[in-house]
Amino acid sequence: MLAFIIRRVLWMVVLLIIISFITFVIFSVLPSANPVLLRAGRNASPELVRSITKTLGLDKPWYVQYGKYMQHLVLHFDFGYSYQNNISVRQEIFSRMPATATLAFGAMIIWLLIGIPVGIFSAVRRGTWADKTAMGTALVFISAPVYWLGLVSLYLFSKDIGVFPIFDGQGTYPTSGNIFTEPVAVIQSLILPWLVLAASFAAIYARFLRGNLTEVLGEDYIRTARSKGLGERRVVYKHGVRSAITPIVTILGLDLGILLGGAILTETVFNIPGIGRLAFDSIQKSDLPVVQGTVLIGAFFIIFLNLIVDVAYAFLDPRVRY
Amino acid sequence: MSRRSLRLALAAGVLVALSLVVAACGGSSSSSTSAGTSGPQTVPTGKKGGTVTVLSSGDVDYMDPGQAYYTFSYQMLYSMQRPLYYFDPKDSTKEIPDLAEAAPQIAGDNKSLTIKIKPNIKYSPPVNRAVVCDDIKYAMERAFSANVPNAYAVGYFGDIVGAPKTPTNGVKNISGITCPNSTTLKVELSKPSAGTIYAAMVMPITIPVPQSYAAPFDAKNPSTYNQHVVFTGPYQVKSNSSGELTGWQQGKSMTVVRNPNWDASTDFRPAYLDGWEVQMGNNDAAVSSKRILQGQSLVQGDGAPPAQVLKIAVSQYKDQLSFSPSGGTRYIAMNTQKPPFNNINVRKAVIAAFDRNALRLTRGGAIIGPIAWGYLPPNFPGFKQSGGLTPPKQFDYLQSDTGNAQLAAEYMKKAGYPSGKYTGSQQLLMIATNADPGKKTAEVAQAMFQKLGFKLTFREVPQDTLYTKFCGVPKSGYNICPNVGFFKDFVDGSSLLVPTFYGPSIIPANNTNWPLLNDPKVNSLVQTAQTTPPGPARDQAWANVNFAVTADAPAVPFVWDAQPIIVSKNVQDVNDDYSNSPFMSFLSLK
Repeated sequence: MLAFIIRRVLWMVVLLIIISFITFVIFSVLPSANPVLLRAGRNASPELVRSITKTLGLDKPWYVQYGKYMQHLVLHFDFGYSYQNNISVRQEIFSRMPATATLAFGAMIIWLLIGIPVGIFSAVRRGTWADKTAMGTALVFISAPVYWLGLVSLYLFSKDIGVFPIFDGQGTYPTSGNIFTEPVAVIQSLILPWLVLAASFAAIYARFLRGNLTEVLGEDYIRTARSKGLGERRVVYKHGVRSAITPIVTILGLDLGILLGGAILTETVFNIPGIGRLAFDSIQKSDLPVVQGTVLIGAFFIIFLNLIVDVAYAFLDPRVRY
Repeated sequence: MSRRSLRLALAAGVLVALSLVVAACGGSSSSSTSAGTSGPQTVPTGKKGGTVTVLSSGDVDYMDPGQAYYTFSYQMLYSMQRPLYYFDPKDSTKEIPDLAEAAPQIAGDNKSLTIKIKPNIKYSPPVNRAVVCDDIKYAMERAFSANVPNAYAVGYFGDIVGAPKTPTNGVKNISGITCPNSTTLKVELSKPSAGTIYAAMVMPITIPVPQSYAAPFDAKNPSTYNQHVVFTGPYQVKSNSSGELTGWQQGKSMTVVRNPNWDASTDFRPAYLDGWEVQMGNNDAAVSSKRILQGQSLVQGDGAPPAQVLKIAVSQYKDQLSFSPSGGTRYIAMNTQKPPFNNINVRKAVIAAFDRNALRLTRGGAIIGPIAWGYLPPNFPGFKQSGGLTPPKQFDYLQSDTGNAQLAAEYMKKAGYPSGKYTGSQQLLMIATNADPGKKTAEVAQAMFQKLGFKLTFREVPQDTLYTKFCGVPKSGYNICPNVGFFKDFVDGSSLLVPTFYGPSIIPANNTNWPLLNDPKVNSLVQTAQTTPPGPARDQAWANVNFAVTADAPAVPFVWDAQPIIVSKNVQDVNDDYSNSPFMSFLSLK
């Protein structure tokens, strides 16, 4: 197990280096706009453009720029400074992490609380009207893009502009606080985003679990368990769900990793100052250091949570050994 | 176009097809003027106290006055800081003394200005002392340094004696800026361009910066004064005892409070509010606009209400909607240095053929402003002298708003195309933005060019790419830039006509002379206008430039537009037509 973890951690480092290089090439060597000219302002003199180029270190060859970036990153955990406002990227990312994490974990709890029971219910009662209704509803939420769902929910339920004004405080996430310092304000502003973000995930998980569980409940060992006289509840939960839920853990790790890297659409629609919105803003401004930082953080979470999932497999599935 | 003009372009961008829904609506302005024109604005007395929330999509670019250049930054800055001169919202066409005591004394040779400064204007904590002349001298000098990269210092203030032509390492003395005493500023010029310098003194570069406090921040490259700014106006960003702007969470929010050292008796700003909060990240303009219209104590920041919300505002929230004239012109630029547009008759044919009303419709129609024919907008100095809203008779190719196919054919024949249409084989490169409404403008233009026989390679790119890779880079080889526009930096013809049509303004990157016009006659008239003292003669001189440019037909001008501004029902709005935004230090709660 230890050898496996060490191997995976080393691979994680290699992957992050590859990702940082690809991001650098896309945004630095092939940028959609010149960040120096954006910062210099209209009709700026060539001398000013040269001066800013030098200040930002963009006068050096690309491989020197990349080398320097990696040197700072590895030795000092320094992601550099924003081209636009000269703020430390690490500081920016860390200051936005609580909002993104609160959004992601809150939504995850909701989608697990909804998705798993619905999936089990549908599998156990497959073919019934209840199953068809649940899976049909799930399909609707899977098909609805999150930004559309977000906007519709705002126009329906937001206290200020909604037709059925239920939820107060939408779009007013406290910028100087977090879930621990201002729990009421944070929760109030996140209820709708949590529900919206959780909706499609809950639907996917429900359908996924239903499919797995249906298959598992037809296995020989389930028949054996039933023939031994075990109660149906025990058969389903102890023998069926435990086996059917293992693949769910895999996608949960991936999904959570992606969300911790920034739920761009949800954060943008609901004005949540998280990493996703930071990425969105920095891409619009060709602000390479911030783009690079947010991409690396996102990649780190995905890879890291995958590692956790793989390790968790050993405990969840007795057949898996490293 | 970038920075201020880019902001305006993006902001006005949401007016797509507005005319289809609001064509029947006339003036809906509450306190401001009719769309597209500037002039006297009614400024009601307000009630003291209360706070508002400004909903914005993005952040200000800088709070450092040496670097600030976005429209939204100006909305914040000019209620917290005091430049030498600014504008009373009652009349945004004439600057009034702000930090200065009176208009400058301009020497007879037009080569020096002497400005008296009000003596008792104090900085916010922790500086607390009164502003002195040396602070303005330092503020201007630091803008020429590499540490405080300022976009316009060299362009507008480069004629000051001793002003560096290239950014300096650290802040260096400029010999042409002197302080005979603590309340007298003298600016000496190498050219007789006092009129331009005076007009440009409304820009943030003249906002004082205390050297002893700011120098340690300015020693870094780039300067970190941006996070430690001190203020001279009625408000300030909330800060701690050492001056750090703790109320500014970049990209998230800003808390603005009263400046305890501000003396109302020295200022024309009434400062009714107790302060305001800026809430950033409202990227969906439809949602934030609805919030403003239906909510309480909310004010528009950057951006503008999109078409569907504006339609509602015009019909249901008239008292909460107003327009601020943007002080500029939108046009379709033709590259005058490349065939076929190096032939003036081809250019005139294009202008004659174009349905400029259709182009204006793509941005919102009549409600956003009159159809443009030249490059000085309504009520701008030189506009009346140019002939006002109606194009002079000699510009026959500009007489029809909807296009004149017959006249266009005549010009094409004169250009050597006997059929009256372009018959060359050249593929013309047209670079357009990929976002509405510019995209729609470009598509209409494309159809009109094709109607005249031109074959186009039509490329759509993001707005920033458009300017930094194509239209702002002469060697990129474009023929047509259909999404350009230029808006004032200050109220003088030099602000609008020099960067855009003056030959020596052509630069290899971030160029704004998009037609690449380099006509000796225009250049000569510009030089004359620049050296004419302020007053009617100067206005006439810029009108002459406007005439000469229009005669060269370098572009198809199609609208002098305005910025729609909305506030909540309980907010009494007064607009700052210089920054095209709510004037925060004039707003009040009803």
